[in-house]
Amino acid sequence: MLIQGFHLTQTDPSGFSVLQDAYLSFPQGSYTVLLSENVMAASAFLKMLAGENRPSAGTLRIDHQDIYAFSSTQKRRWLLEVGVIFSDFKLLSDRTLEENISFTLRTKGFWDESSLGAVGQLLAKAGLSDKAKLRPEQLTDGEKQMAMALRAMIFRPRLLLADDPFHGLEGEMFQTLFRFFRELHKTGTALVLSTSQPSFLEEAKKAENDPAIRWVQLENGVIYPLEEKVS
Amino acid sequence: MNFILRLGYVIQEGFRQVIRAGGLSVAVITIVTATLLQLSLFLGVTRVLDHAFASANQKFEMAVFLSASATSEDDARIEDFLTHDGRVDSVQLITKEAALEEFRKDPSVDQMVKALGENPLTDSFTVTLKNESMDQADSLAADLKKDPQVDDVSYGKGEWETVSNLIRVIRWTGFLMAGLVFVTALFIVANTLTLALWARREDILSMERLGAPMWMRWGPYLCEGIFQGLIGSIIVTVILEAVRRAAGQALQKYGGFDILNALPAQEWIGLYLRLMVIGIVLGILGAFWALQKKWIKERL
Repeated sequence: MLIQGFHLTQTDPSGFSVLQDAYLSFPQGSYTVLLSENVMAASAFLKMLAGENRPSAGTLRIDHQDIYAFSSTQKRRWLLEVGVIFSDFKLLSDRTLEENISFTLRTKGFWDESSLGAVGQLLAKAGLSDKAKLRPEQLTDGEKQMAMALRAMIFRPRLLLADDPFHGLEGEMFQTLFRFFRELHKTGTALVLSTSQPSFLEEAKKAENDPAIRWVQLENGVIYPLEEKVS
Repeated sequence: MNFILRLGYVIQEGFRQVIRAGGLSVAVITIVTATLLQLSLFLGVTRVLDHAFASANQKFEMAVFLSASATSEDDARIEDFLTHDGRVDSVQLITKEAALEEFRKDPSVDQMVKALGENPLTDSFTVTLKNESMDQADSLAADLKKDPQVDDVSYGKGEWETVSNLIRVIRWTGFLMAGLVFVTALFIVANTLTLALWARREDILSMERLGAPMWMRWGPYLCEGIFQGLIGSIIVTVILEAVRRAAGQALQKYGGFDILNALPAQEWIGLYLRLMVIGIVLGILGAFWALQKKWIKERL
C-alpha cells in the first residue's frame, strides 16, 4: 500500500500537537520504522493511518484513497486488508488463544478446513503451541503481545500497523517476532511500526545495511527520514 | 463463508455466549421463565373458559313454537328452512302429540289435560346452533318470527348473553394483563442483555477493529436472546406438564373434579408451542432492543 500525507495536522483532545503541517510518503511494500521520543504521538499517528483518528487538517491518502471519506461498508472492506497491533486492541477475553487467531481468519473471510491447521503451525512457530487452549488472562504479557502480533499477521495483510509491537518481548520471542516481520515484508506487506525498544534498535542495527527498512523520526509534529535529521 | 456456514457460526457462537454470559444468562432465563408462567396462567384460564363455554354451547338449544293453525305443510316448510340455514347444526320436530305424551308423564299435568279434553300444545322444533353461530341466535330468532306460523322462539337469551359477556370480559382482561406482563418482561430482558453487551464492549470494539461484518458481530447476540428465550420456555413447559399431571390427578382424587384435564392433550401441546414461540419472541425482541442502544448502534 502506498501511504501519502499532505499538510497533515493532528491535535489530540488534550491540545497536544501530534503532527503539524506534515508531509509523508511511504512507498508501496515499504518497511517503515517510526522513532519517537513521544510514545503517545507515535500511537496517535499510527491510529490515524488505521482510520481511527481523523487528522485535524490536511489529506491522508492510502492507495490514492481518502480512508476518512469511506462509508462504513467501504471502511470495513478496507480493514479486511489491514492488520493492526495496538496496546488497547485487546485479545477477545472470552476465547482461547487459538480461537482469537481463528476469529481473525473468519472475520477476514479466509476460513476453510485447513485454517485450524495453519493456526496450529503458526502457534508452533511462535513457540505458543502449549498455550493454544488458554484464555488471555492465563497468558503472560509477552505471550499476549505475541498473540496480538500473530492475529494481525496470520491473514497476510497488505498493510501492517504496529504500535510498539516488541513491548514486553524478550529473548527468543523477540527474535521470533523480528523474523516474522521480515518474512511478512518479503511477501509484499507494507509495514509501519513504531518502537522505542532498545533491543529492537540494537537488532535493527545489525540489519543496518538492509535497504528495505526505512527509518523515520516523529519529532515536534514533523516526520522526516532519519538520515536527513538536522541536529 | 456461504449462508449455511454463517448460520452455523452464528448458532454456535450464540449458544457459547449463553454459557459465557453466566449469571446474566441465568437472570434472563429466570425472567423469561417467570413471565411465561404468568402468561401461561392467563392463556390457560382463557382456554379452559373457552372450552367450558364451547361445551355449554353444545347443549344450547332453541325452541321454536308454531301456531295452533300450523299444518304439516307448514311444519315441512319451516323444517326445510332450518335444515338449510348455515347457522343451524341440527333440527328436531316435536309434534304436539309427542309433546303431550311427554307432558302426561307428570300426573298433575295429565289430570289437567284430561279436564281440558283436548291437546293444548302445538308443534315445535328443537334447534341446535353451530358453535361458531352462537352469537347469531338473535338474528335466527328474528328470521323465524317473520313466518306467520311461528308463534314464539325461546332460547334463554338473557342468561346466554350474561355468560357470554362475562367470558369476553375475562378473556380481554387476560389478554391485557398478559400484554402488560410481556412488555414489562421485554423491558427487563432488554436491559439485562444491554448489561451483557456492556460487559463485552471491549470485545465488540476489537471485532469492529478487525473489520468483522455486521452478521458476525451482532448475529450471535440475537441468537443468544433466542436461546435464552427457548430455554426459559422449555423450563416452563416441563413445569406446567409436571403440574398438570400431578395436580390434575390430585384434584380428581380428592376434589372429584378435573379442571386441568378438561382440555384435551392437543390443547396443552398447542399451549406449550405458543409459550415457546412467545419465549423466543421475547428473547429476540429483548436482544434487538438492546442492540438499539445508542453506543451500540454507532457501531452497527
